[in-house]
Amino acid sequence: MNNYNIILNDLVPKKFGKRGTIWTIFLIVIIVVGLIAYIDQVNKGQVVTNMRDYALWGIYISNFVFFVATSFVGSVTVAILRLTNNTWRTPLVRIAEIISLAAIVMAGLTIMIDMARPDRLLNLFIYARLQSPITWDVIIVPTSIALSFLLLYFPLLPDLAILKKHFKKTKPKYSKWYGKLSLNWTGSKKQKSIQEKSIKIIALMIIPVGILLQTIDAWLFSTTYRIGWDSTNMGAYFISGAFVAGVGALVTVVYIIRRVRKLENYITDYHFDKIGKLLVLACLIYFYFNINEYLIPIFTAPVQEDIHLNALISGEYAPIFWFSQIVGLILPIIILLFKKGRKPFPMFIVGLMVVVGSWWKRYVIVTPTLLHPFLPIEGVPESWHHYFPSMHEWLITAATLAMASLIITIMVRYLPVVPIQRTADELDLLKTDKITES
Amino acid sequence: MKNLLNYRFIFLLLVSIFLFSSSFQNLNAQNAKKNKVRLKADYVKIMNEEVYFNIRATSRIGKKNTNVSNIDVTVYNEFDDDKVELGTITTDMKGSSKFVVKDFNSLKADSTNTYNILISFKGNEEFSKASKRITFRNANIEAKLITKDSINYITAKLLDASKDSLISDASLTVQVQRLFQPLFIGDEFNITDEYGTISVPIEKGIPGIDGNLNIEVVLDAHDDFGTVKAIVIAPIGTPIIDESTFDKRTMWSPRNKTPIFLLIFPNLIIFGMWGLIVYLIYNLFKISKHKNIKI
Repeated sequence: MNNYNIILNDLVPKKFGKRGTIWTIFLIVIIVVGLIAYIDQVNKGQVVTNMRDYALWGIYISNFVFFVATSFVGSVTVAILRLTNNTWRTPLVRIAEIISLAAIVMAGLTIMIDMARPDRLLNLFIYARLQSPITWDVIIVPTSIALSFLLLYFPLLPDLAILKKHFKKTKPKYSKWYGKLSLNWTGSKKQKSIQEKSIKIIALMIIPVGILLQTIDAWLFSTTYRIGWDSTNMGAYFISGAFVAGVGALVTVVYIIRRVRKLENYITDYHFDKIGKLLVLACLIYFYFNINEYLIPIFTAPVQEDIHLNALISGEYAPIFWFSQIVGLILPIIILLFKKGRKPFPMFIVGLMVVVGSWWKRYVIVTPTLLHPFLPIEGVPESWHHYFPSMHEWLITAATLAMASLIITIMVRYLPVVPIQRTADELDLLKTDKITES
Repeated sequence: MKNLLNYRFIFLLLVSIFLFSSSFQNLNAQNAKKNKVRLKADYVKIMNEEVYFNIRATSRIGKKNTNVSNIDVTVYNEFDDDKVELGTITTDMKGSSKFVVKDFNSLKADSTNTYNILISFKGNEEFSKASKRITFRNANIEAKLITKDSINYITAKLLDASKDSLISDASLTVQVQRLFQPLFIGDEFNITDEYGTISVPIEKGIPGIDGNLNIEVVLDAHDDFGTVKAIVIAPIGTPIIDESTFDKRTMWSPRNKTPIFLLIFPNLIIFGMWGLIVYLIYNLFKISKHKNIKI
């Protein structure tokens, strides 16, 4: 078996084993339960949630912000590393593109879940006001979905053509589908030229679109003039947070795929070391913004903001706040600063810490501010003074997370997670370099 | 057969329990103690405008004062052992109601020129009956604006209408009408002199719509005369310049008044980006058409 065949054999999508099947069924069950809860929410209205007059954005919006942040991984790893010619990105980019697409699609769906009347979705477009950050969000999310899809699809074309050929005899049905999706890719000079040009355009576009997406997401909050949100720092703060969430998610998913698909020869310790350095850089930048966001107001905060900060630092939200800061940010920085911490398994643990911390961080950003309005909360039931998600909210949110995982799982099942053509090309290039050197 | 009998017995037993418990409930309901309603009423007269009674109903329920809403209270004019019904009014959600006297001249005073008003609640299933009696004498305030040595003054004369005599040593308040709280002018207490008058200078520069100030002279909750208010419209204020952005293109306008820069730049970005996306999709189409040319 020659080298190309070994690569092909290693990288072509494979049928799930027992664990993969159980995992998929598990996700489907969570999605079905969440779907039932959502139907009930649509029928009964949002009274089934614990969102009320004050906490009118709950975990749905926290979850939406988390998905938006995670989708930033596409811009970071694919576009930035590509434009800066970092060759170590090769085995990671496809996974990053998949995560990016899954996250942004789910961000779009989550925002619809938060709407009490999803049947009025079209009104967001029909009656859009360009002054409203909501409208900007309505525009940027579909734009990001389209671009993330193209970012995944263009580089896939050669691999889809390879898969068509590979499965021609063993699985003709698959071969037919891969053939259709490969858009008659033959690797002709013209096709390659169009593809390369298109990828370059996407790589250039995805960075401003990613930054716009994160900034608009931040402006949804900072333009409301609310305590905790009224900050000129917010756009940059969200971008750095998204950098952390996205790379954290990438590390976690890469580790699992590497283990399940036995890709140790392709995704090596070297790659983990590199992405670990990228993650620690992201965490340090985000840590800096956190200091700006929380430490300076401790000195300068007016009374209302002081109450809000106290609730975060030592009050009702202190456990979640410190969890997101310590587990989601400070500990990862400490671990990743050591070379041993950038080995695959420690990196996986760090990735999980970062993802979970990032999710709760969004909760801390969204909810406490809503419960600290300028005018005192009066004349409402005691329960409206606090917010903790209802069972419906948990089930639906779990379903959205499961749905994102399912999208990733399905893509991992049917697409080559490490680019076949590019890996083969790079190995050939190495061979040529060695010949030249000798 | 035995089982069947048992089922019948159980069925009858359950029905009996149900009937017994419901009758027991009714008994309890009949014996439930009714809450007492407290009525409060104030007489208010606005010169040349209206006369009304501010009525408020409260009740002490569970050691808490609660507003009693949606109850009917009837207002009577009592005089010389006679009682004339003036009308009925229902309390609002805050337990308040404003009963406007249609024709003040139809009210009859007693021999001491005192008006006696009875406010009565008949009672209902929840609250026991209650009543409140208020008395007042008719007073008038004559207020006007004068200018002396370029200074504007509001002068007012307080009169006992029944005797056509002046009222001295009464405290009047002078204020400008405002949306939430009135703006007080002059001293806190302006005591009427032996001629029943007061004179209060009005400082310059008080803003008013079209330069008009609605100045009120108020005899507030007097023991004998209740509340009497005279309103003078004085064109001596500083006109309020309307700074409304209602018809301008602002960030808070409706969508047909979007600022021009916001129409141009975001649309340029949107169409630029979607133009490129369409171009990229077209590239996919082009790739699929170039299958036959192979290197």
